Amino acid sequence: MHGLILRRRIGRGLVNLLIAGFALFPILWGLSSSLKPTERIVEFPPRLLPDEPTLEHYARIFQDDAAFYILNSGLVSAATVVLTLILGALGGYALARYDFRGRSLTMMATVAVMSIPIASLLVPTFTLISVLGLYDTRLGLVLLYTAYQLPAAIWMLYGYFMSLPVELENAARVDGCSPTRTLRKVVLPLSKPGLVAAALFILVFAWNDFVVAVTMTSSQEVRTFPVAIYFYLGFYGREWGPLLAASLVSIVPIIAVFVFLQRYFMSGLTGGGVKG
Amino acid sequence: MRRSERFVPYRLLAPALALELVLVLGPLLVGLWYSLHNVRFFRVRGFTGLENYTRLLESEEVLNALWVTAVFAFFALFLTFILGFALAMWLERDGRFNTAMRAVVLVPYMIAMLVGSMLLKWVFSQEGGLAPMALGPVGLGEVSILGDPKLAMAALVYNAMWRDGAFAMIMLLAGLKAIPPSLHLAARVDGAGAWMRFRRITLPLMRIPILITLIRLLVHFVNILTFPLILTGGGPSGATEVVVLKVFRLGFGDHLLGQANALALMVFLANLLLVGVLLALFRRAGRI
Repeated sequence: MHGLILRRRIGRGLVNLLIAGFALFPILWGLSSSLKPTERIVEFPPRLLPDEPTLEHYARIFQDDAAFYILNSGLVSAATVVLTLILGALGGYALARYDFRGRSLTMMATVAVMSIPIASLLVPTFTLISVLGLYDTRLGLVLLYTAYQLPAAIWMLYGYFMSLPVELENAARVDGCSPTRTLRKVVLPLSKPGLVAAALFILVFAWNDFVVAVTMTSSQEVRTFPVAIYFYLGFYGREWGPLLAASLVSIVPIIAVFVFLQRYFMSGLTGGGVKG
Repeated sequence: MRRSERFVPYRLLAPALALELVLVLGPLLVGLWYSLHNVRFFRVRGFTGLENYTRLLESEEVLNALWVTAVFAFFALFLTFILGFALAMWLERDGRFNTAMRAVVLVPYMIAMLVGSMLLKWVFSQEGGLAPMALGPVGLGEVSILGDPKLAMAALVYNAMWRDGAFAMIMLLAGLKAIPPSLHLAARVDGAGAWMRFRRITLPLMRIPILITLIRLLVHFVNILTFPLILTGGGPSGATEVVVLKVFRLGFGDHLLGQANALALMVFLANLLLVGVLLALFRRAGRI
């Protein structure tokens, strides 16, 4: 009997190990390679672990302005988060607390825009952005990211506001607060978990975006980190060391945020509504 | 509601609406305009009607791209969904360990697609030595995965499974949680085995979540760009050049903005169709 339970446990453990390996192996292999000196990276047969680990590739990308691109990405991401949250809170509040003509149409449009992939819009958007004179500007990127993430933010915050009791707001209104003041002074302070979840979601999107940034910008001054990584691919040619080092640097903040704030992500992933 | 407040919801929604109209609807209108003209480098030269469209549909490369997209979307959808469902069932029970495992599986989904595909490119590449070492014992040490049309497509599908399996898992997990445990318990008491319970309870009650997951994955795969752009570059010789990558190349490589916009709009129409189905499903689920 004990043998059976033990065997089952080992079986389960093996399956879990296999799953974790499937998910993490490419990242760990990239990490291991990025720590090897250049001539050892492509040696055959490959060693699983670097025998003399070195940070030379990391040093190299930071010599090549990686810090500047990271800062740029951070700036664009932060601005996107702030703008999207403000507009998202206003829109979400309208949907959660007002019954108005066009409400269900707005909800449908929100879900529809949320579901349309950006990739199919790139060429038309590039066309428009150039006509508007926003090509190759940080502002253009921030506005586009906001437009893409706003429906999801409205949807998530709408869901969160719906879960709050309406009595406090009514009391504030009786005391003479305007709708926007009520939102700012009463609703938002109560909505921190919802705001954090939405903010993380937007942040990860903006930090990770590559296709929009690579098509809507060209100069070095506005280059974001993922675009810089892509250019390393051409710049370094077949040199994998700096390329993998840059890739891993871009992962670090994502993993950090994700490990500490994992539970916030789930509601965003399922498109709100359903609890995960 | 006070009379003077009739316009409040519209005022609250106005900024969002304006932004979406300009930056999501606007491109489509400009794109439509360009797609009906002969355009080179932003110079709109003359109205050509549907010529861009007919030329696209006669082009070998575009037809190839549509076929490649269909093949990729089919296999990626099938395998990613199965993987996601298996993961969701395997990690269904809440608990510290399972929650941690879910987080581990989600890592490929959380990191940038660009970075994920770059890391896989390194795993599959000939220079990395990993692929030749793994394939060597079966006599395929000299085969270059990304250099072979079929294997490159397989690598692309693998990329999809690796990244999006976790997304399917999360979506399906939410559906699994909505099934009352008492149903499974009752069926157990009646002597139903695991397979029977899966077929008679889990599957029927999961219909809407399954369909929503499938459509969301399908939309994602039909519009895939980053995986092939980074992992295979569309090669070898167009074997993995999916339709959105073709749009990308037409627009940003060849600067044929008329044709590129025309093809983008055709893809957009397909998306609209899929999103329509998705909306109907959301309605059935009572979420709108």
